[in-house]
Amino acid sequence: MTIDENTIEHLAKLSRVKIGERQKEKLASDLEGIIGHFKELTELNTDEVSPVTGGTDLMNIFKEDEEDEELLSKGRSAFPEEERGLLKVPAVFEKNDEE
Amino acid sequence: MKNSDNKFSVSAIKNGLRSGSFSAVEIAEEYFERIDKKDKDIHAYLRLNKKGALEAAAWVDSRLKAGEALPDLAGVPIALKDVILSEGLPCTASSKILENYLASYDATVVKKLKEQGAVILGKTNTDEFAMGSSTETSAFGPTKNPHDLERVAGGSSGGSAAAVAAGMTVLALGSDTGGSIRQPAGFCGAVGFKPTYGAVSRFGLIAMSSSLDQIGPFASSVEDAETLFDAIKGEDSRDATSFDLPDRMIWQKEDLKRITVGLPKEYLEGGLSKEVGAAMEKAIRNFEDLGVIFKEISLPHTRYALSCYYIIMPAEASTNLSRYDGIRYGRPEGAKNLLEIYEKTKGEGFGEEVKRRILLGTFVLSSGYYDAYYAKAQRVRRLIRQDFEKAFDKDTNGVDAVLAPVSPSTAFKIGEKTQSPMEMYLSDVFTIPANLAGIPALAVPVKDHEGDLPVGFQLMAKWGDDKNLFALGKSYEEA
Repeated sequence: MTIDENTIEHLAKLSRVKIGERQKEKLASDLEGIIGHFKELTELNTDEVSPVTGGTDLMNIFKEDEEDEELLSKGRSAFPEEERGLLKVPAVFEKNDEE
Repeated sequence: MKNSDNKFSVSAIKNGLRSGSFSAVEIAEEYFERIDKKDKDIHAYLRLNKKGALEAAAWVDSRLKAGEALPDLAGVPIALKDVILSEGLPCTASSKILENYLASYDATVVKKLKEQGAVILGKTNTDEFAMGSSTETSAFGPTKNPHDLERVAGGSSGGSAAAVAAGMTVLALGSDTGGSIRQPAGFCGAVGFKPTYGAVSRFGLIAMSSSLDQIGPFASSVEDAETLFDAIKGEDSRDATSFDLPDRMIWQKEDLKRITVGLPKEYLEGGLSKEVGAAMEKAIRNFEDLGVIFKEISLPHTRYALSCYYIIMPAEASTNLSRYDGIRYGRPEGAKNLLEIYEKTKGEGFGEEVKRRILLGTFVLSSGYYDAYYAKAQRVRRLIRQDFEKAFDKDTNGVDAVLAPVSPSTAFKIGEKTQSPMEMYLSDVFTIPANLAGIPALAVPVKDHEGDLPVGFQLMAKWGDDKNLFALGKSYEEA
């Protein structure tokens, strides 16, 4: 598996992280080494093995869907911007200037 | 620094407070003095909670004066790894991205500690977002090993381990995703415990890898670690993976003569430093003197655990860390659009190791690679879990517990492994399997070890057998 600077750019784009030019080469070689190590897993035949999909075997754990006013207001107070009781976030859709 | 100040046990504080030998405020002041004196060199703490601690201690004193019966942890100093939220205190995860974040609520474990009257001294250093094995990835500088300041304290909960080992707190909490409690406990000479997955609520823990993370205690003795574990365990409706441990018979002294402990050959052959090997033999002899019977066992998929872990953990971490996007925890200056907000926030806020794991996690989850890496690792995880299930299966003459070293070597030098991520990852090779299997594991320092640096062993048991590990650990300590 070859990981080059293009792969790093692609992964950085997917994960929305800006990677500095100088970091790309080092990260590419680090990732290539780490992913190369994973090759050993192909030694194992896992065709008949069921995956472990989480840390717990507990199922159907429910709780009442109740508002916790205290926790809500604490959470809100930690948010950067609020307007009329609503959390304010930057616009997702922008006006297209060409229109 | 071998002659660290006299360490108070939980029971010594409990008795002292009730007999009037000292007050909770005096104890808190004593510990802040020690921190003032020692932490310049060690750097276990990121932030102290002097005001809050002294208020909590004064409250304990007033209750005691009024003749009230208080829980065991009342007035006992405790430190919190800086990934655990305590309302009003900063919680940075040792990352620049959360440098100015103040926790807006208490983690469930913190709520429980406060209800007990425990005195929270401050927040301790960790690798950034608990990603590392040495606290060297902390954005605020590494924690030094109290036994040798040129060496690492281990990680990621290195601050908590060092604070306990240097007598700068009585107890501490850490989190263990792949060994982050046990490895620093081993390096610093403290007791550290990773509970069964789900035994302790993680509500209010900054998540790294949700199918692996567990909160657990640090202490100077197994007994104190158990007291702290008892105070924080239990089901919590705010963490759907949490549950009450099943009621089981707990091993008594006479049971120890019937107990069989497995020695997994995969952990003991090759790869161990001479010093660690000799220390393991010593620990085994001590257990044999108690009547414990040892038996060689095989956990054949052990060697695949590291690869399995370094696929699953980054996959989950890259997902968990997407929430630090510049929307929820402070906005960056000068970003022109949404994409720039995301990229700038993460690009400037995360350190190198965090970025490495985000990219790695994104890679193993990305189209075309998912099946070959992530789905494969989930299946290998089953094989690792089955290794333990078979080892503990009583119907096939299985063992009651497993003993293994915590780490292949003693604490390494600061800077020794920072250039090679793979070499750093290998220092977790013995601690990772317990996380993948979800089983409890207790790290205890080897007694009367002659080297300059501590060596730890770990006891693992089947799912839900947490209390039995404490029984076994206490018998070793008391012998």
